[in-house]
Amino acid sequence: MPATKVLILDDSSVMRKIVERALRQAGLDLNRVLEAGSGREALALLEGEQVDLIVSDINMPNMDGLEFLRQLQSRSLAPGVPVVMITTESGEEHVREALAAGAQGYIRKPFTPDQVRDRVLPLLALA
Amino acid sequence: MAVLSGTGAEVARFSKDLDRAADEVFSTMAGVRCLPVESEAAPERETISAVIGLAGALSGSLVLHCGQRAALRIAERLTGVAPESLDAIVRDAVGEMCNMVAGAWKGFDPNLASGCLLSTPTVVAGSSYELFSQRAPIRIERSYSFEDLTLTITIFCELPY
Repeated sequence: MPATKVLILDDSSVMRKIVERALRQAGLDLNRVLEAGSGREALALLEGEQVDLIVSDINMPNMDGLEFLRQLQSRSLAPGVPVVMITTESGEEHVREALAAGAQGYIRKPFTPDQVRDRVLPLLALA
Repeated sequence: MAVLSGTGAEVARFSKDLDRAADEVFSTMAGVRCLPVESEAAPERETISAVIGLAGALSGSLVLHCGQRAALRIAERLTGVAPESLDAIVRDAVGEMCNMVAGAWKGFDPNLASGCLLSTPTVVAGSSYELFSQRAPIRIERSYSFEDLTLTITIFCELPY
């Protein structure tokens, strides 16, 4: 598995660290980890950085994860980069909404490194 | 545990699901069991409460409340770093734990999973405060223990029907 550059988007700095740890425990060789505490910050980062993977929360103030996805697409940022949503929302409608907005994967909190591995590695293999 | 009011069926089901949610979240994210206990925590000078609003199929809030010792331990378990005071990281950690318990709890009910939305966490910390929830005909309060530390989770809610 080649080294991966990932953007982790979550308004919680604690959750960003937990996600990074889970990605490493899942077996990803993380070359560089970018963090963003808001959708706006993430979009600004992606204007100047190439990443291999985006992991995003959904429930955030101001710009939620779904709006971030829509902005990502409308501004043609990170084309072809897999986006995985990690969220407490567990309803099937929420999953459908996230996938319809452009996410390629969906992980419910709480999560184990194995669940992260099972969702993320296949997406990186396809990218 | 103190079940103050509400219809019997909902209260029993919500309580059982809350027990499952607390243990699942703590076990998965913090690596420790979190099991119901009858006794409440010994009072501490500094306490912290995280509140998640519930809206839609059910209106109300879920509150996770604990003393400083439990809060510091939660943060250490989630981050791997032992904090020394109720700082921003600890508030963030307790807020996220409350968020995940709320999400896991409502996820056990298909109607709530799709029809009940969660707010972002609000966290209050200090030495002298009380939280009130107006118009909450259902109140479920449960005490839990993890690593000999105690916390309380309370659901205040009103069903739309």
